[in-house]
Amino acid sequence: MKTTILTGLALALGATAGHAQTIPAEVTEPVTITFYNYNLSSAGNGAEATKKMIAEFEASHPNIKVEGIPVSPQNFVTRVQADIVAGQPVDLTQMGFNALDFASKNLGAVALEDIIPQAEIDAHLEGMVPNGLELGRLDGKTYGLAYTFSTPILFYNADIFREAGLDPDAPPQTWEEVKAAGLNVKEATDALPLATGIYGPSAMDWLMQGVVRSNGGAVINEDRTQMTFAEPESVEAVEMLRELAKLGITKNLDITSQMEGMAAGNTAMYLQTSAIQGFLVDGAEGNFDLRATTMPRFGDKPVRPNNSGSALVIHASEPLKQRAAWELMKYLTSKRGYTIITSEIGYLPLRPEIVEDPEYLGEWVKDHPLLQPNLDQLSVLEPWVPMPGPNYLQIATSMMDAMEQATFGDNDDVKGILEAAQTQAQNLLP
Amino acid sequence: MTIDATLPGAMPRPARRARPARWEAGIGHGLMILTALICVFPIYWMIVTSLRPENAIFSTRLWPDTASLENYAYALRAVPIRQMLVNTFIVSFTVTVIQLVTGILAGYAFARWRFRGSALFFGAIALTWLVPLQVVMIPNYLLVSRLGMIDTLGALILPHVASAFAIMLLAQSMRSFPSEVIEAARMDGASHAHILWQVIVPNLRGTLASLAILIFISTWNEYFWPLLLSRTPENSVVQIGLQMFITSEGTQWGPLMAASTMASLPILLIYLVLQRQVIASFMKSGLR
Amino acid sequence: MTETSSSLPTLSRTRPREITPRQRLYRRLRPYLYLLPAILCFVVWIYEPLARAFMLSFQQWNLLPTTPKVWIGLENYRNIFALPKFWQALANTWYYLLGLLPLAVALPLAIAIFTQDLPARSRNLYRALIFVPMIVPPVVGAAVWRWLLDSNHGIVNLALQGLGLEPVGFLSNASIALWTITFITGWKLIGFSTLILAAANASIDEALIEAARLDGATRWEIVRDIRLPLLSPTILLLVLMVVLLGAQWSFAYIHVLTEGGPLGATTNIYYLLWQFGFGSLSVGWSSASAVILFVGFGLLAMALFALKARFSFHDD
Repeated sequence: MKTTILTGLALALGATAGHAQTIPAEVTEPVTITFYNYNLSSAGNGAEATKKMIAEFEASHPNIKVEGIPVSPQNFVTRVQADIVAGQPVDLTQMGFNALDFASKNLGAVALEDIIPQAEIDAHLEGMVPNGLELGRLDGKTYGLAYTFSTPILFYNADIFREAGLDPDAPPQTWEEVKAAGLNVKEATDALPLATGIYGPSAMDWLMQGVVRSNGGAVINEDRTQMTFAEPESVEAVEMLRELAKLGITKNLDITSQMEGMAAGNTAMYLQTSAIQGFLVDGAEGNFDLRATTMPRFGDKPVRPNNSGSALVIHASEPLKQRAAWELMKYLTSKRGYTIITSEIGYLPLRPEIVEDPEYLGEWVKDHPLLQPNLDQLSVLEPWVPMPGPNYLQIATSMMDAMEQATFGDNDDVKGILEAAQTQAQNLLP
Repeated sequence: MTIDATLPGAMPRPARRARPARWEAGIGHGLMILTALICVFPIYWMIVTSLRPENAIFSTRLWPDTASLENYAYALRAVPIRQMLVNTFIVSFTVTVIQLVTGILAGYAFARWRFRGSALFFGAIALTWLVPLQVVMIPNYLLVSRLGMIDTLGALILPHVASAFAIMLLAQSMRSFPSEVIEAARMDGASHAHILWQVIVPNLRGTLASLAILIFISTWNEYFWPLLLSRTPENSVVQIGLQMFITSEGTQWGPLMAASTMASLPILLIYLVLQRQVIASFMKSGLR
Repeated sequence: MTETSSSLPTLSRTRPREITPRQRLYRRLRPYLYLLPAILCFVVWIYEPLARAFMLSFQQWNLLPTTPKVWIGLENYRNIFALPKFWQALANTWYYLLGLLPLAVALPLAIAIFTQDLPARSRNLYRALIFVPMIVPPVVGAAVWRWLLDSNHGIVNLALQGLGLEPVGFLSNASIALWTITFITGWKLIGFSTLILAAANASIDEALIEAARLDGATRWEIVRDIRLPLLSPTILLLVLMVVLLGAQWSFAYIHVLTEGGPLGATTNIYYLLWQFGFGSLSVGWSSASAVILFVGFGLLAMALFALKARFSFHDD
């Protein structure tokens, strides 16, 4: 068994070990590449749009055949890992941002700079939001291009706002205002004032990173060697959330209850990724007035939303397949690609110019005002920092367990809880 | 050879006087009806929800105001459910048959013979329950891939050719099989194979039918392993189809409930058919 | 050690037969041949990977040959035992068991015995209705219960409010959520256990019961002195299953309904190990988790086996 794994892997990863190979300038012979994609694993718009994009790409690149492999997001990395070990070809993947570091170190993810002439990379990246590009960069190299990604949005139910005597046209912009609005809602209605997607295993740490960052802190230092989530800025952010919980403005709900509460019209405000917008819109249609605004900030400090979602990552090791995968990657992140991704799946375009352009999203955006806060946040977007090393998931889980405890638990010593957890998480860093 | 004649247990049904007192029976029925309601109501809710339009999914009305089959149409359009149902049936049926056979053989060995290591083997079989699927999943995936079985139904069947539960239950019911019957067969010079397949198995029809139902359903409802294996929906099972309506961006409840209803009905049918078999076997066999 | 027919020790002696050495060898091997298909399956698909997991639990490795295996001794185990939630999860596992045993064993036992004496028509109807939860996919069952129990707009809470009671946070109240999940897990299992127990109950020799009746035994005495002892092997088998598998059975419901929350109130050992071990790709964590689970519950199982051996005596 072991020898098979070894040979399989040697074959699969052989080329990445030897450095910068030159890839052919174009694909002149037939080649098939695999595209591991999680939108394909569910029924609906995501799968339809992905199939459409693959078909369009194949039509314009007759030599390249794309085999879309549907993999559910919950075991995406496991499956990629298993297939690499099994010697199955893995050429292009739709990798979650939090697994990017793991993919670069363990799953043979290839940095674009290592295989593609710099001039060609620069030409393609032209016109993309600079800090959007940062999302896929690790240690100075580009491992992924943001593909389906979104930002945290404060959804709100305008009907409940009116019922509570609030102005639905002036939604809260700071956490102070969220608190004030929440108290009003609590007083005047039966609705839950605020739900957040900050906590819960499926959230991991993506939204919390943004909250802490918005208060000027960070959960991990810049070179990712030191956990910093027990520093004062972070403690203060958690204390603010604890106050909201104590006042009964927010509750500790699992993600499905949050989403369903909002979709059923029983929640006033909901801070969550814009990716769930379609679900909320379906529930709201004919029932209530759903609106959205940007993520709340802390006082005068600038808001620092970060992204959730996935990047496109090349794993192929043969030059020809690398070229083919890069061509597909270019197409998917082109103006046309982002137009389909935004209008048909509901994610963000990383090329802002297409938003105004009537040839692309111009008309569509007018009919979809909920996208606006998302677009506003693009310019201040920060990356979702992946935790380093093989224990990356455990680090994030330990941290989030402590933060949940500090927010909703009986113990008022937020600082003490976070410090203890920070020491523990620090031990898991490589 | 007829067993009935040799059996002391071949008696008519007991007389009426054994019936419980009226009030006792009343309470019993009351509790049974309550339990049955709790068991059935959620399923009723599943079906009702599958008939609701998208924006009324969270409605609490006991009755759908406007019943529509839109969710069914959508589910059938979005996912190849029919093909998946066929696949699931093939997998579940095959697994059931094979597990019964391996279970009968192993159960007979435990019930019939004392042999070195018998307790050890028995324990090792029971302890397979403790091995989390997620730990053996990747090694098994690699094995399946080396066998060239990725994206085939065979890969869904192969790891399930034996089940601890089937073996233990059958071992136990064979142990309590009356030894006089077997003795009689031995006297006639019957071989072990003959005793097992001609004497014991026909008389365990009731247990085997119950077991078959349970194996069939647990295979039908399994999804972790198929999820890791699935590559093309057409070669996959219905649980994967259901999963396709559950996404991190929100679950499509209406179609999910419609698909689940379609996935559940075949097993309900099989249950009813086999349940009849269970009853029939108790009625017919004079033995027990 | 000679192989004997356990139930017929006298038979082989009264009818001695000529046995060739080949036949003798065959007879000795026969039990193993009967076991072979099952054992082979378990070795290939379960025990071989488990043995490898045992080795991997002392290492830090991700299965990829390009990365080195690092021997880290007990580090993986230390990490798991250092999790603040570990002991909470262990205690919860115990509560789940306490709650599941009545639902998955005692209640079905009562149902099986009660329905046995009913006329065929109502017996089958009851059993069929009780079996219905079995056929529902777990995710769907969980979703439906969530709607029914929702603290704002769930139908159960609407009914409670209609009776003038306060709404109950079935899944959001930390001291209730665990019991809610236990209930839902049990709900799914009642049909399963009832089916098994009913089959065992029906195979009890009616002559025994009739004889007892003729001796003037009451209904309750018949249940206590005849049915329960004869059912005891099946009951113990079910208890063993609940103990060993209970934590895994509730997994789907924990995962869908609470994700272990609020504040870890519903997490059990299996879910915790899944979250830190199996759910991620660090093979070390997941292997160590598996070993902990296997050894811990394995010891428990052995104790039950000892109990079973003692209890099963009188059914021979």
